[in-house]
Amino acid sequence: MPKHIVRLVLLIVVFGVVAVAAKSYFTADSFYRYGHYRADSVPEIAGMATSFQTPRACRSCHAPRLVEWSAGNHATVICEVCHGAAPGHPDTLKVVIPTDTPRLCTQCHEKMPGRPVSSIRQIDSREHHPGAGQCIACHNPHAPRIADPGVHAAFDRKAALASAASCAGCHGENGVAVTEGTPNLAGQNAAYIARAIGSFKTGVRKNDTMAPMAQAVADDDVPGIAALFGNMSCRAAGGHAGTGNAQNGKTLARQCAACHGEAGRSVNVAWPNLAGQSANYLASALTAFRSGDRANAFMSPVARGLSDKEIADLASYFAGLGCAAPVVASNH
Amino acid sequence: MKDQDRPATPARRFFLREIGRGAACAGAAAGAACLLGAGTTTAARAAAPAPAPAPEGHAGDYPVPGYDWTKHRWAFAVDATKCIGCLRCVEACKRENHVALDAHHFRTWVERYAYVDGEEKPRIDSMPDPVNIAEAGSEETYRFANRYRDAKVDKAFFVPKLCNHCTHPACVQVCPTGATYKTPDGFVVIDHKYCIGCQYCVQACPYGARFFNHAKGVTDKCTWCYHRVVKGLMPACVEVCPVQARMFGDLNDKESVVSRFIRDNRVQVLKPETGNAPNVFYIGLDKEVI
Amino acid sequence: MVPLFEPAPFTGYVYPNETVIPWSVLIVVYPYLTGLVAGSFTVSSLYHVFGMQQFKPVARFAMLLALCLMVCVPMPLLLHLGHPERAFNAMITPHLTSAFAIFGYAASFYTVLLLLENWFVYRPQIVQIAMEGKGPLRWICRIATLGSNDVSERALAFDHKWIYALTIIGIPAALGLHGYVGFVFGSLKSREWWSSDLMPPVFLLSAVISGTSLVIALYVLTSLARRVTIDESCIKGLALTLWGFLIFALLLEGVEFASLVYRSREGIEVIMEFVKGPLLVPFFVLQLTLGSLVPLLTLTYLIVRGTRGRALVASVFVCSLLVLCAVILMRWNVVIGGQEIAKTGRGLLDYEPELYGREGLLAAFSVLCAPMILMFIATRIFSPWAEEERAALLRGRPALA
Repeated sequence: MPKHIVRLVLLIVVFGVVAVAAKSYFTADSFYRYGHYRADSVPEIAGMATSFQTPRACRSCHAPRLVEWSAGNHATVICEVCHGAAPGHPDTLKVVIPTDTPRLCTQCHEKMPGRPVSSIRQIDSREHHPGAGQCIACHNPHAPRIADPGVHAAFDRKAALASAASCAGCHGENGVAVTEGTPNLAGQNAAYIARAIGSFKTGVRKNDTMAPMAQAVADDDVPGIAALFGNMSCRAAGGHAGTGNAQNGKTLARQCAACHGEAGRSVNVAWPNLAGQSANYLASALTAFRSGDRANAFMSPVARGLSDKEIADLASYFAGLGCAAPVVASNH
Repeated sequence: MKDQDRPATPARRFFLREIGRGAACAGAAAGAACLLGAGTTTAARAAAPAPAPAPEGHAGDYPVPGYDWTKHRWAFAVDATKCIGCLRCVEACKRENHVALDAHHFRTWVERYAYVDGEEKPRIDSMPDPVNIAEAGSEETYRFANRYRDAKVDKAFFVPKLCNHCTHPACVQVCPTGATYKTPDGFVVIDHKYCIGCQYCVQACPYGARFFNHAKGVTDKCTWCYHRVVKGLMPACVEVCPVQARMFGDLNDKESVVSRFIRDNRVQVLKPETGNAPNVFYIGLDKEVI
Repeated sequence: MVPLFEPAPFTGYVYPNETVIPWSVLIVVYPYLTGLVAGSFTVSSLYHVFGMQQFKPVARFAMLLALCLMVCVPMPLLLHLGHPERAFNAMITPHLTSAFAIFGYAASFYTVLLLLENWFVYRPQIVQIAMEGKGPLRWICRIATLGSNDVSERALAFDHKWIYALTIIGIPAALGLHGYVGFVFGSLKSREWWSSDLMPPVFLLSAVISGTSLVIALYVLTSLARRVTIDESCIKGLALTLWGFLIFALLLEGVEFASLVYRSREGIEVIMEFVKGPLLVPFFVLQLTLGSLVPLLTLTYLIVRGTRGRALVASVFVCSLLVLCAVILMRWNVVIGGQEIAKTGRGLLDYEPELYGREGLLAAFSVLCAPMILMFIATRIFSPWAEEERAALLRGRPALA
């Protein structure tokens, strides 16, 4: 065999051995462990940080909002749908409070061919209160449905009475307050009562009397208690109309109508009716909003602009309003 | 040297021997590498390619600590009769998985089918449609323009789409390196550190679920939010859907939402004729859904 | 800032991820190059294996051409990959269900084979330069001789056997190397335009005609440059080869398209809209009529009439240029055309290649020129021509194998 052939064959063999060795050497360590892939990539993929936290993560700080939301018909829409994912909130990120609600809300609720009416209530934005501005002027974004069927819906009256037994001591057998400074609950919006109980429970709304009372109530019993009182018939406070000038209060109350309704019956089930409420209670509530003892995004700025006299006037006005029949806001 | 057309008969045997030797030597080196590669994968190939329980000798050895991937068989379900085309899922997926914020790379998307009066075939549109992009205002948010608002529409509906995590994925079949693979719990995922970016898998997918991640130089696709599922969460698109049109669950659990969905409904999959055996089960499809 | 990608405009409905066309003009150039390799190797094998004497003048040239083309084949792929530095992953852990994984080994094997073949063919010249050359080239050739300057009759006889053996192995290897490219497209379920059992043979046959045409074109051009008479029997042999394979290629392509239209599966409306619209000029006018039918009829005429002399050479030369254009158009119409028909079967896209950029037209053009430049350099060093061999013999120099 000529020299060059021998050397060529040798060269090819050496090349082959080097190639095989290189293939072995360069194969990633974890390859072939579970299959034809790099096993180490599985924990790499699985280890990526999550962005959407789901309402579970919101509960620790925003419990009353969560109670209100889960009682309403947006319970199937998680917080981050409207507020955006906020990984790192509250440490590193402030959650977005949406400002352009017409654009936000119509993304789901705009009437569109192809959107099943069985899935979602829809409006035609060209016809639905075109001058209203923000959707949240009328709709509570966390419990948006107006005209609450919950008041008329069936609930277990017996069970509710049992769990509400201790409430009568201050709030009365018929939901009309028997002690000074206690609010009437009869005919109040059930969703609002539910939210209030939730706020007392978690301490977001501070009250030494209500806190233990609310904590003693089980979460499951709350809707029943709320519906119980919501269904009781409201009676105007009458003699307990307070010391203010109701006539003056009427003028001042024009700004309240947008949320609390023209006749003191609120346009949104999550916001409280004021008609026939105890004047004493209303005055203390407004005072608490003004001083910061109670905090509410809508009420705090409103209350801060009120003087003591104006508070008394407003309280007297609302206390004197009749509240026999609920005014049902435009029902779709 | 005189060229000969054919070796003379007496020398033929000699020639054949030499040819044989030559061929063997020349082919040995190149062939050896291939054979060795094949040999080392034999054990592993016994466990691949279809989803199988953990291979022998690997029980208890799970790549993700605290998550036993042999216990689950995940699947996705879509109720297209509920979808309202709000595109929250599209936005959520982009944020959760850091997908490029433009109208050309999607891990999940929604298609609108509208049978306009008098037309036999539906008009189909989705996120890259310029009218929808204009309605959204930018390529970073997504919205369907209400273009059929004043038209006479016989029938219209929305169909959410995403990677089907097929049982016999064409994309895994064509990947030259093993960068994309199917895990035993049913996810088809991509190893971003191993992918060479040839995009053969993008071509092979019949559903258009895969795309090239230009920022990373590798291919990408929906992972059913693997990073969330191993932590006991739902994929982002399932979490945010306001009407619960999307569902995700474990087929090994007979009472999971997906198992019940399949049991209680006549479900369909997209493009069954491909033989890929997709694992996203739909109700509410139409004959024209592609 | 230069955008990372250019979305393709579209009509109808396409999947959102389809709006970026994955495979660019580089993936048109790649099968073209491997086709040229397979084709020129086939021409060379007609002499080295089948002993057809009329191809002797171009046999060694075609062999060297095949090598120069083969070396440039990985270029378009590396330019296209998202991570070219990881390209060897496909060889380190080849996923054997993938045609691409086979590419690494097939291409390496074939490159080594062509290297060996050319080494054997040009060994006497390598030895000569090692002994009498100057400068760095001499040192390179000294290494290349593997330390043996033996160019005796016995050694050359061995070389001849090796060439024969390697070429025999090389024929199925070439078929495999280019056939798998057809399989890459034909095996996919996702695109109606590609999915066909006939893809591998169609690609193979168009490869052979492109390689043959390139050999014809370069043979004529280099002969003119060297002011050497063109061997008429060689041109005639090449023309016959081109003619035969062209008929076969057209037949298979015709059958493939006819089957597609006849079966009329779902999505055929959009395909026909595409064929009658954007594809009309590139496919029917350029590729089919100008690039295939015109050369076919011309060659038939030449063969039937027994044309000789300059008329023959000139006509065959023009035909070869037309076929070269036809084959690259065929690659374009398959690769780009297939991606312009959306997987939805309800839409069409429009691929607008960029001029600059890693995957632009300039890059593709450079890749096409690179083998020609390599060939130019190689022929300065080694002489592939038979006549010069005879002249060298007369001067007492060692002859080529």
